[in-house]
Amino acid sequence: MSQSKSGGAIGPFHSIAEAAGCVQVSDWLILTLVFLACLGGYHIHFMLTAGDWDFWVDWKDRRMWPTVVPILGVTFAAASQAFWWENFRLPFGATFVVLGLLIGEWINRYVNFWGWTYFPINEVFPSALIVPALWLDIVLLLSGSYMITAIVGSLGWGLLFYPNNWPVIAAFHQATDQNGQLMTLADLIGFHFVRTSMPEYIRIVERGTLRTFGKDVVPVAAFFSGFVSMLVYFLWWFMGKWYSTTKIIAKV
Amino acid sequence: MKTSIFETLARLATRRVAQLMALGMAAAVVATMGAIAPAEAHGEKSQQAFLRMRTLNWYDFKWSKTSINVNEEMVLEGKVHIFSAWPQAVANPRISFLNPGEPGPVLVRTAQYFGDQFAPRSVSLVPGKDYAFHINLKGRRAGRWHVHAQINVEGGGPIVGPGQWIEIKGDMADFKDPITLLDGTTVDLETYGIGRIYAWHMPWLIAGAAWILYWFFKKGIIASYLRVAEGREEQAVNDNDRRIGAIVLAVTILVTIVAYAMTNSAFPRTIPLQAGLLKPLTPIETEGTAGVGPKQVTVDLKGGVYKVPGRELTINVEVANKTDEPIRLGEYTAAGLRFLNPDVFTTKPDFPDYLLADRGVSVDPAPIAPGETKTIVVKIQDARWDIERLSDLAYDTDSQIGGLVFFFTPSGKRYAAEIGGPVIPKFVAGDMP
Repeated sequence: MSQSKSGGAIGPFHSIAEAAGCVQVSDWLILTLVFLACLGGYHIHFMLTAGDWDFWVDWKDRRMWPTVVPILGVTFAAASQAFWWENFRLPFGATFVVLGLLIGEWINRYVNFWGWTYFPINEVFPSALIVPALWLDIVLLLSGSYMITAIVGSLGWGLLFYPNNWPVIAAFHQATDQNGQLMTLADLIGFHFVRTSMPEYIRIVERGTLRTFGKDVVPVAAFFSGFVSMLVYFLWWFMGKWYSTTKIIAKV
Repeated sequence: MKTSIFETLARLATRRVAQLMALGMAAAVVATMGAIAPAEAHGEKSQQAFLRMRTLNWYDFKWSKTSINVNEEMVLEGKVHIFSAWPQAVANPRISFLNPGEPGPVLVRTAQYFGDQFAPRSVSLVPGKDYAFHINLKGRRAGRWHVHAQINVEGGGPIVGPGQWIEIKGDMADFKDPITLLDGTTVDLETYGIGRIYAWHMPWLIAGAAWILYWFFKKGIIASYLRVAEGREEQAVNDNDRRIGAIVLAVTILVTIVAYAMTNSAFPRTIPLQAGLLKPLTPIETEGTAGVGPKQVTVDLKGGVYKVPGRELTINVEVANKTDEPIRLGEYTAAGLRFLNPDVFTTKPDFPDYLLADRGVSVDPAPIAPGETKTIVVKIQDARWDIERLSDLAYDTDSQIGGLVFFFTPSGKRYAAEIGGPVIPKFVAGDMP
């Protein structure tokens, strides 16, 4: 921003203070509008792709959930990082969109799932993603390299997902005996609070051929998720770089 | 140019914009509220007629109560015959799931059984067999709700059974759903873990917001853009910024590790989600069920005509009575609808009126003697054909009827048999050909 050395009138403004105030208002407007746009876009993307894995407690298994959610989640995080880092060197791209996603999800889960259809929050809470997002942002901040962020950041994004959700999920993986059938509390919540449109077989719980690691499927799933996230990160970094614009700010 | 952009941005922040936004939001709220209306059914009528008639034949359907209080239990029970000539257009019920059809969890399902087998997961159903089921439900949300049983078939979708209005009185705030864990502790499933969810999620949301706002206040957006555009990289990100980042990262990882360890300590024994097909079910083959019917009474459809304007189905049925008593046709049921012969059902059974045509069947009153094989002409006529959209059969790609017929003896025994086959529609009024 150009300034008058005297501190008097500058361009169209009467004073430096007025110019600074206008910049501040512009900053807030940009932050708010971009945040709302990211919230909407990322939320729709996530509902359509991660969908049920993120909606329901009895979908949050050891294999598919920690594989699918990080891979589909790293998309907007990478694109947002490309926008905020390439143009502004601001290290909050991933946290920015993830916060938007989670605020949108919490509004959705509380107002729609609980407020309108009365599914208890313990059935419909979203996946926690802030910790992996902070990791991604800080790796970019420290390295200054999208390449290192894609490799180290995305791997960490995948690896941190399950441990960061375990403090909430563990309680729902306690066992109960229901009429001779072993069930977790998560299974039971899904069974009790009826979803007419969701038969039990629709759940994709630990299906696949990953059978040689015994009960230790989470680390394998997390590593796999991290590796695929690297590839997705590259793709979406360039999506963010090529398809975002700072045209208006450039004019300023 | 700079002037006009700044002026434009400044104008956006004026009171007029705020007023317009407030007006827009108010209009959106009013428009939304105007459209609020309770859902009253589950779209069962929208399913094709042949599908509803020739997949699952529901019978002996009962709701133990139609009015309950919050926390009070009721049972929805019945039998289902899996149609032998299952239509090719619908995937076979190799993986199926019993489900109550209700508008959200207004009733909580505490248990459900096929016969004696607890069935919280998917099961295989075999065409030609009959299964008894019951679902235990508990009142949760006050109101008047339409409640069905339905069976979802993988690849075929939900197939909805008869529905009944259930009145729930009381306050959902009083609802309790106690569950005993393997370690003996009891928890309320309605609220369990919610405090923990908020306690973990909300601080991280605040931390995320704090991270963004820290950089926002420290660097600004337009100022950051200018620094990058003018190539002032050192000012854009300096060592102090990296130091802050490293500290935040260290704290974040530390909190995650500590929370993970504490969680493992609090819940030392956890198991994975349980899923997969349950063991094969035992079909019922008791007297009076369609599963055992062919051994006692065999029925063969010998053609029929459906008169669309008159809502009248006339079918020729060859009946072989292998029992030791004379029998009379008392009922035809399909797609959850019951068409009764008033000569046999002298009192109206307790069943939802919209599905019960208590004078819907007329047939030659002469019984079929023991050992006799006879072709009878059965007329099934009622407005419910149209209302429940079974008359749309004429427009289906597989225009074959299906269902069950029930015969009764003077001593009160019942014999059930499956019936199905093609019928020819007649689209104009007048005498049947």
